[in-house]
Amino acid sequence: MQRIGFPSALITALRLLLGAIFIISGGEKLMDLKYFALVIAEYQILPSLLIPAVALLVSLCELLCGTMLLLNLFSRISASVMLCMMAIFIAAMANNLMRGLDHDCGCFEFLSQWYGLKEGIGIGPIVRDILFFILLLPVALLGSNRISRKKNHVSNME
Amino acid sequence: MSGKPLRRKLIVSLLLLSYLSPAVTQLHAATSVALPKEESGELDISAAKALFDTHSACFVDARSEYSYYNSHIKGAISLSDSRFDDQFPDFRQKITTETLIVVYCVGPGCPKARHVAEKLKKNSYRNVKVFSGGLVEWSHAGFPMER
Repeated sequence: MQRIGFPSALITALRLLLGAIFIISGGEKLMDLKYFALVIAEYQILPSLLIPAVALLVSLCELLCGTMLLLNLFSRISASVMLCMMAIFIAAMANNLMRGLDHDCGCFEFLSQWYGLKEGIGIGPIVRDILFFILLLPVALLGSNRISRKKNHVSNME
Repeated sequence: MSGKPLRRKLIVSLLLLSYLSPAVTQLHAATSVALPKEESGELDISAAKALFDTHSACFVDARSEYSYYNSHIKGAISLSDSRFDDQFPDFRQKITTETLIVVYCVGPGCPKARHVAEKLKKNSYRNVKVFSGGLVEWSHAGFPMER
C-alpha cells in the first residue's frame, strides 16, 4: 500500500534529528549513571532497589534507539519505544509538579554542566517532551522497518 | 486622712507604668532580634569553620542527593529534606544522637536545612545547629569542598 501525506524526506530529517538528540541524551546519562540514578530517586516514584536498573535501562534505550533512528534500522520500532518513554517522562514530570516537588529533570544535563543552563522539572521540559512525542509520531507510523521489508521481500519471492 | 495621698501615688505609678510599658516591650523586642545567631540554633560561617577545623561536628547536607553528589562540604553526609525518610535509617546507624550536627543547604534563602534540623530534633538528636550561610557562603570563602 502506498503511504501518502508525509514526504519521505521529512521522515528522514525527523529520524536524523531525533536520533542525534537521543544519542546525546542517552550517552551523557551513561557517562554519569550514578547522577542520573540520584535524579530518578528524587522523582519519588520508583522503589530504591529498582532505581539503578531503571537508570541503566533508560540510558541504554535512548542510546540504542537514537542509533537505530540515525542508521534507519528498525526505526519504526525505535520510534515507538521512544514514544512510550516520552509518555512516561511527561507523566512523571506532571505528577511531580502536581505534588509540588522541585528538582532537576534529569534531561540534557550537559547543558547545565557546560553552559550553566540548569533545568528543573516544569512546563518547559514537559512541552519539549510533548514536541518530541509529536515529532516521533510520523516516524513511528510511517518510517521504515527493515525486518518487515525483508519479510515482504522474501514472501514476494516465494 | 491618708486615702488621698495613697490614691495620688497609685495614679502616678499607673501613669508611670503606662508610659514605660511601650519602652519595656520595645526593649524586649530589641533583645529578641539582637539574639546571637548561635543562641537561636544558627551558626555563622566563622563558627561553622571553627567546628569544621576541630572535627567536633558532623556536617549534614540537606540538599537533594544529586546536588550533594555534584559538590559538598568536605566530609559532609547527605541527608536530604526530600528523601529524609529513605536516608535516615542509614544516617541513624552512623551518627549517634549525642553528636553535634551542623545542617546546611544552598544558602540563607533555602529552608531545607531548617526542615532537616527540625526532623532530626524530632528523632532525638539534641545538638543540631543550622549553618544558614550554606554552601554558597562556604565556597565563596574558599573553604574545603569535595565531590
